[in-house]
Amino acid sequence: MKIVAARRILQANEQIAAENRARFQAAGVFVVNILGSPGAGKTTLLEALFRRLQGHVRPAVIEGDIAGTIDAQRFEQLGLPVVQINTAGACHLDAGMVSAAVEQLELSGVDMLAIENVGNLVCTADFDLGEHARLLVLSVSEGDDKAAKYPFIFQGIQALCITKTDLLPHCNFHVERLLRDFRRLAPTAAVFQVSALTGDGIEAAASWLQAQLAQAKLDKTAQPS
Amino acid sequence: MHELAIAEALIEQVKETLAEAKCEGRVARIELSIGRLSGVNCEAFCFAFELLVPGTLLEDAEVLIRQPKARCRCQSCKARCEIENEELPLVCPRCGSEEITIEGGRELVLQGIDVEETG
Repeated sequence: MKIVAARRILQANEQIAAENRARFQAAGVFVVNILGSPGAGKTTLLEALFRRLQGHVRPAVIEGDIAGTIDAQRFEQLGLPVVQINTAGACHLDAGMVSAAVEQLELSGVDMLAIENVGNLVCTADFDLGEHARLLVLSVSEGDDKAAKYPFIFQGIQALCITKTDLLPHCNFHVERLLRDFRRLAPTAAVFQVSALTGDGIEAAASWLQAQLAQAKLDKTAQPS
Repeated sequence: MHELAIAEALIEQVKETLAEAKCEGRVARIELSIGRLSGVNCEAFCFAFELLVPGTLLEDAEVLIRQPKARCRCQSCKARCEIENEELPLVCPRCGSEEITIEGGRELVLQGIDVEETG
């Protein structure tokens, strides 16, 4: 017997992601999936952004790591609601993990949720979590060839933060070389050059997040109830 | 190694599809489409699949993988083409423009299941 299935293999994940998205939308929460290599500076950037946005947004964080709670503790010290997911070896978060983590959050007190994914430029690309936007963090010490070498992850993002720009004089990293490849993959994405150390560019990236949140709130209002 | 997670999702999906069809038996063959722009490495995928199937209905199943080429629509010359060369940057094979919209080649689909029914 032959069964014609014609089903997307990641359909189960996509369904849960759609449920997550509907839930976030109904709660008026803007959700951003933070992607990037281990050590790119995802956590440090988020800390700097949330410090900048203090008093303007009500953030929460879902922290994805293979093991440990080091990053979650950093957000706790900032006084933010945070849920740690330990993937126990898995190289990416999936929508089911996020759905379970959201249960631990009081969404009514939150309007911006950052989901810091497992550090990885490959696997995280394929798993929709139900986010509204993807922000990729690439540090200058990783090299300006990364968009050419990892096109899949760069393709689907709405914002790119080039971090650790204070190290540019010491790295053979040419922003224009990266952007030449990147623009072919994501012509409309926002690009920010930031240094969490000096504070350069943080305001622009924070404003972008705020604008996305405002848009999400508009979308919620526009939704037929 | 997201191929492992994808292989896991596939096996679950095959089981669900068989349960919905109320079909009992051993899976003889599955047919997949793994687009050339899907980001899935077929070799790694098959390796992961072989690791996961022992003890399941899919043990001994043959895996047939089609790898559809990237398809694009060119903004410049308006042609719809298949792209033979997936090296970046992707360009329109007809006029060489980089201003193209990718319309296919990212798919990751379970197309069909052949079941050897028991009893």
